[in-house]
Amino acid sequence: MTVSALTRPGERDRLIVKLANIDWTFTLLLTVIAGIGGVMLYSIAGGSWLPWAAPHLIRFGGCVLLMILLAMVDLRVWFALAYPVYAIGIVLLAAVDVVGHSALGAQRWLDLGPVRIQPSEIIKIGLVLALARFYHSLSGRDARLSWWLLIPAGLIALPMALVAKQPDLGTALLIGATGGVMMILAGLSLRLVAVGLAGLVAVVPAAFMFVLKGYQKARLLTFLDPEADKSGSGYHIMQSKIALGSGGLLGKGFGLGTQSQLNFLPEKQTDFIFSSLAEEFGFVGSVAVLLLYMGVIFMALRIASVSHSHFGRMAASGVTATFALCLMINGAMVMGLAPVVGVPMPLLSWGGTVMITVMVGFGLVQSVRVHRYSEVTSGRGAIL
Amino acid sequence: MSNPQIFFNEVNERQGEFGRRAFVFGGLLGLGVVALGGRLAQLQVIENSRYTKLSDNNQFDFRLQPPPRGLIVDRNGVVLASNRPDFRLLFMRDEHMKPKDVEEIVDRLAKLVDLDDAHKRRVIADIKNAPRRAPVAVVEDMSWEEFSRINVRAPELPGVTADMGEVRVYPFGGAFAHVIGYVAKVSGNDVPKVGPIDPILLNPGFRIGKQGVEKSFDPVLRGKAGARKVEVDVKGRVVREDPAGDIASVPGSTIQLTLDADIQNRALEVFGEESGAAVMMDCRTGDILCLMSAPSFDANRFVKGLTGPEYQALAQYDRKPLFNKALTATFPAGSTFKTMVALTALEMGVSPDKTHTCGGAFPFGGHVFHCDKSHGTLNMHQAIVTSCDIFFYQTALEVGPDKIAETARKFGINQTFPEIHIPQNKGTLPDTAWKERVFHERWWPGETPSFGIGQGALAVNPLQLCVMCSRIANGKKQLMPRLVKSIGGKDLPRGDEVPDIPVDPEHLAFVRKAMADVVTSGTAQLTAKLGLGPIMMAGKTGTAQAHTYKGARGTVHMEWAMRDHAWFIAFAPVDEPRYAMSVLVEHGGWGASAAAPRAAEIMKVALLKDPEIRARIVTPLPNPEPVGANPDGPPVEGAAPEAPTPIPGQPQQPTAPPPLPPAQQIEPQ
Repeated sequence: MTVSALTRPGERDRLIVKLANIDWTFTLLLTVIAGIGGVMLYSIAGGSWLPWAAPHLIRFGGCVLLMILLAMVDLRVWFALAYPVYAIGIVLLAAVDVVGHSALGAQRWLDLGPVRIQPSEIIKIGLVLALARFYHSLSGRDARLSWWLLIPAGLIALPMALVAKQPDLGTALLIGATGGVMMILAGLSLRLVAVGLAGLVAVVPAAFMFVLKGYQKARLLTFLDPEADKSGSGYHIMQSKIALGSGGLLGKGFGLGTQSQLNFLPEKQTDFIFSSLAEEFGFVGSVAVLLLYMGVIFMALRIASVSHSHFGRMAASGVTATFALCLMINGAMVMGLAPVVGVPMPLLSWGGTVMITVMVGFGLVQSVRVHRYSEVTSGRGAIL
Repeated sequence: MSNPQIFFNEVNERQGEFGRRAFVFGGLLGLGVVALGGRLAQLQVIENSRYTKLSDNNQFDFRLQPPPRGLIVDRNGVVLASNRPDFRLLFMRDEHMKPKDVEEIVDRLAKLVDLDDAHKRRVIADIKNAPRRAPVAVVEDMSWEEFSRINVRAPELPGVTADMGEVRVYPFGGAFAHVIGYVAKVSGNDVPKVGPIDPILLNPGFRIGKQGVEKSFDPVLRGKAGARKVEVDVKGRVVREDPAGDIASVPGSTIQLTLDADIQNRALEVFGEESGAAVMMDCRTGDILCLMSAPSFDANRFVKGLTGPEYQALAQYDRKPLFNKALTATFPAGSTFKTMVALTALEMGVSPDKTHTCGGAFPFGGHVFHCDKSHGTLNMHQAIVTSCDIFFYQTALEVGPDKIAETARKFGINQTFPEIHIPQNKGTLPDTAWKERVFHERWWPGETPSFGIGQGALAVNPLQLCVMCSRIANGKKQLMPRLVKSIGGKDLPRGDEVPDIPVDPEHLAFVRKAMADVVTSGTAQLTAKLGLGPIMMAGKTGTAQAHTYKGARGTVHMEWAMRDHAWFIAFAPVDEPRYAMSVLVEHGGWGASAAAPRAAEIMKVALLKDPEIRARIVTPLPNPEPVGANPDGPPVEGAAPEAPTPIPGQPQQPTAPPPLPPAQQIEPQ
């Protein structure tokens, strides 16, 4: 059942019409990637559904339902919830700083009885929504260059600082980069972008000296020269490169990746799942997966561009930016092109929280598609 | 920011800008993915072979398989050195293990096996010093219970494995400790400073030959290490074996010595607590049948590793058990050397019938040289038999020191024998050139009489005297001693494949006859009888001054370290010599009383093991039971007589030899 700009608004709101307007090709693409993740998790567990593959696939199934559910949510509801979600995210981030649960030397978790919350994941969605809502109300001229832009800058800087303090440098950079991309997509003056980049280049060495913790510095130095410390920090990068390189053109075969099967590859089920994949399926397999990812990104950007509301465009592109940056950072990391930061490969890696975030994000993207003809206003017509 | 007014132009403007930028963003991401793909191509396609090698290095490990060390057997195949299984506990530190972890694991091990604090500290130091991934032997010689306990617990003890190795064992302990030597842990000196290092040296618990045959033939005995190809996980645990990739080890070769275990064991036995050496050669072939030094030590203790106090006790004992006296103890030859002086005179044309008169004292060059008694007028034969010093003072003066030294050299004095393959001390053979070279002084005529009776600067080792005796006994060949019969089944050249000795065989026969009479009617007539019927032994006694005398001579009544050294050289049977030997009893007193009976005991073993000799013994042995009763029977394993005749100096023997009459006990200097 197709919809167009001319379809009557009442017709569009029918559930069956909405379901039909979900981008099912896009959903299929996500399922294929998550399925490949399941296959890899099955392989590296030594040919076992446990402990990773089965929960991963079941969780993904739940997340698909969640995504469809969220796709049904009217864009105006998302719009209305944008600032509250952001605010909740900030509050939880601050709370984590005070009473957070420490893991691997960083306070990232909030223990709420049976539920463990990672506020940095909530803020990823919250920031995208908040920026989208802000830019929705901002004129194109103001979005280019105006004092108003201090507000999105602040919206980005606040969670970034809180997450960096945990410390979780990878996520902080991811949040910052996502925000930056959204500001640019919203029409930020390219001259200002150039100045900003130049400033960044100047600030990075100083930040390295004074802001980073010892292990963060070590990781960066290791990235610059991984061979220097083969048994310490360089070990991760080196083993990952060995896994990739030894995969060759066609790979060692399913279940035969020695680097992962024999545990030479660290964090093989999370951050370095792509290395396991490249080892077992080779250049052909890993490039195919990269193309699938590229398909997801292009489809999501297309959904963003065809939205009639600026909020929809910004929200969908923000989610896409987060997803794409995750992919790029993780890819560059496992290939030895970036320092080891704890950014997993979305959909492929083991890990529930990240998957929920990604799929909630894609729920938003699907909602943007389903409601692409809806007009969103903050005043009249708002339903909340 | 005002209440947003959504005008189409505004919408179009913002949408257009967003669309353009989203398009560029998508393009940039596309470029990023292309870059990642390019990097993948570089790693996976271009540099694939390099990373494949690194991956294999991770995945596969070659575990060194030390080959079994070659056996050492005697001439009859009796095993003198072999290997026994050894349960060991190995520890291998991987890349991630910190010193703290090592200590914790060793603490946990101490609950499973016997590890005291000192041992624990040593093990921790060993592990820390070892290269990563090189296994270190934590405990050796574990019991089966400990071995299985470790095997069960190994999964919870990272880096720990229990395996079965081999350790050297010497079944005879002491008798062969000097000639075979021993193996012990590799020390810094054993690793070559330059050139490639045999990786087997780094294997935990590997032991290298440190002394004797074990040292001289270490490369042959060691073999070549093989390797077991295994697939390992990141913790170094074996996941899978890959037998196709194994490299076979080459076992060490078996070395067959010419020694005879029965003779050697008996030799150690007859020495009791005395210090000395016994060397026996087959005087037809040159094969060394016995090369024994006493007292000895248990070589197995060295394999395990001596404790400090144990080593101190061995090193400080004044009878020097660590010292191979058969090859390195050098003393004046004493009267055994009179054979050389006699031969020199004969070779120079002096008639054997020429007589000298012994009145008990011989003044020469302002000195008075003594004899132990007044022998009266005697010819050369009688002089050898009674060991008259004054006869040989005069003979030596007649022929001169250089001629005597020349003869002695023909008989192996002052030589080392490479076929023994163990370091020897060649001693001293004085002559005028030697005097000139060492002291820058001419030879004084007053030194010649002492030289004539084998004293003075002359210093020989027991092996040299045995070679001398066997060349006399052989009567033809310039026989060379041989210790190693075969290596890995390949025979080494025999000691009789040599030119003849440039001495008139008639003269050698003359000396043999005199030596035979030493035993029948001379200085050793009561102490060197074999009691084997027609099989007789010939010999010559000797007593070497242990120091310059002040007052009394060094006899059995004196303190041990002051007594003279007793020598006896012998061959048997008299009529067709087969076995020649020399016996040294350090500070034993008289050659006739301390050395000759021991020589007779050792000789009897050799003779009784020889089937042809046994066939000749028609009269029953004085001992009621053993071998003689059944002369045609097969040689009995361990043919030492079951009721050995008493050995002097062993108080536990109930039947001590009868006290010798004073006249017989006297042995010329």
